[in-house]
Amino acid sequence: MSAGDPLTAPQDEGPRRRFELDDRGFDEVPRKYRKYYRRWQGPDDELAPNEVLCPVCKVVVRSARELRVGDRIYCMACMTRMRIVRDDQGRLVGECEY
Amino acid sequence: MTDFLKGYDIQYWLESAPQGYLEGTEYGHQPGEQEPPVVLQNEVLHEQAIRSTVQLVLGERCALAASSGLINAAPDEASKRFLATQTLDEARHVEVFTHRLHDLGVKKSELESTLKEYGNPNLVKFAELLLEKVDKKDFVAGVVGQNVILEGMAFRVFEMLHAANESANPKFAHILSGTIADERRHVGFGENRIGSLVRENPDRKPDIERLQKEMSYYMLATFGDAFRQGPSPEEVDQILEKEGVKREKPGEWQGVKLGQATPEELEGVLGDTILKEFKLRLGRIGIEYQTPIQP
Repeated sequence: MSAGDPLTAPQDEGPRRRFELDDRGFDEVPRKYRKYYRRWQGPDDELAPNEVLCPVCKVVVRSARELRVGDRIYCMACMTRMRIVRDDQGRLVGECEY
Repeated sequence: MTDFLKGYDIQYWLESAPQGYLEGTEYGHQPGEQEPPVVLQNEVLHEQAIRSTVQLVLGERCALAASSGLINAAPDEASKRFLATQTLDEARHVEVFTHRLHDLGVKKSELESTLKEYGNPNLVKFAELLLEKVDKKDFVAGVVGQNVILEGMAFRVFEMLHAANESANPKFAHILSGTIADERRHVGFGENRIGSLVRENPDRKPDIERLQKEMSYYMLATFGDAFRQGPSPEEVDQILEKEGVKREKPGEWQGVKLGQATPEELEGVLGDTILKEFKLRLGRIGIEYQTPIQP
């Protein structure tokens, strides 16, 4: 896993889709980590399989790998650690871990 | 308890804020940006801009006093260092919003009297209550009051103000976007710090619920007042038409067209967002929302 990827602890080591990350203009973290984050565009913003919304600061956290239930993620913008869970509509969401 | 701060240090703050989104800014905005002429020339819009900026200055003065006071009350080194960076963030916010008041024509000699004239009494009372807790070195009450209640609610208001000003007033929108970026760290600190405290010491829950019940009334009252004061959207439309200002596409936030919504609609959307999100935030940290008591 690349250094700085918010996916800090994958649930399993099975093969996953990989994603090429580009800088989406999120300038609130140091330069080398910017590609791992983007601004959320509101409720109609459809998240990719490698993205999850940070419930604390409403920034989209992006990994170079597809995310799965049970993965652990770190949001650098607000320092929150999350575990990926599925919500009642079947979407992957972050559940904070304190 | 402060494991979430492991990755946070002053170097990170430097690379994110001063060397990141604040690089090249002047008092929070791009060099050369100015207030739109209609805001300076029209009496109603001018007064409204001063009134809303006064609340921002007062809120940030409160946050500056609280975050600096909490440094010595914090029980661990990591929280002390975080609060030191938050103190500088808040001092910057006080400065940029005060600078905006000066740009709006408030003379330095008139600053304090302007703050007194336009300051919302509920916001002043919230500040007094919060700073009373900080003076007693009550770290938990200070973080709940400042980072969970004050900033947790203000975060969404800043986002709405930003959406409303993005095309109408880019200078003010830029000031707000830097402030929002800072606030993300502050609300993250509040939620993670209190969340881990509750998780490790569930017996503290009733105490924190009592603090929320006691302290959130004045903040909710402040936001309620903000939408009942100032010109209605129809009045703003008439002013802009009279002044010959072409109406840009109104900013949209949470599905509401901000330049066209009635105060009731704005209050409604804020109730649906601020209060709803506030309850969710409390729920995440294991606290059940308590209807505030009216003092």
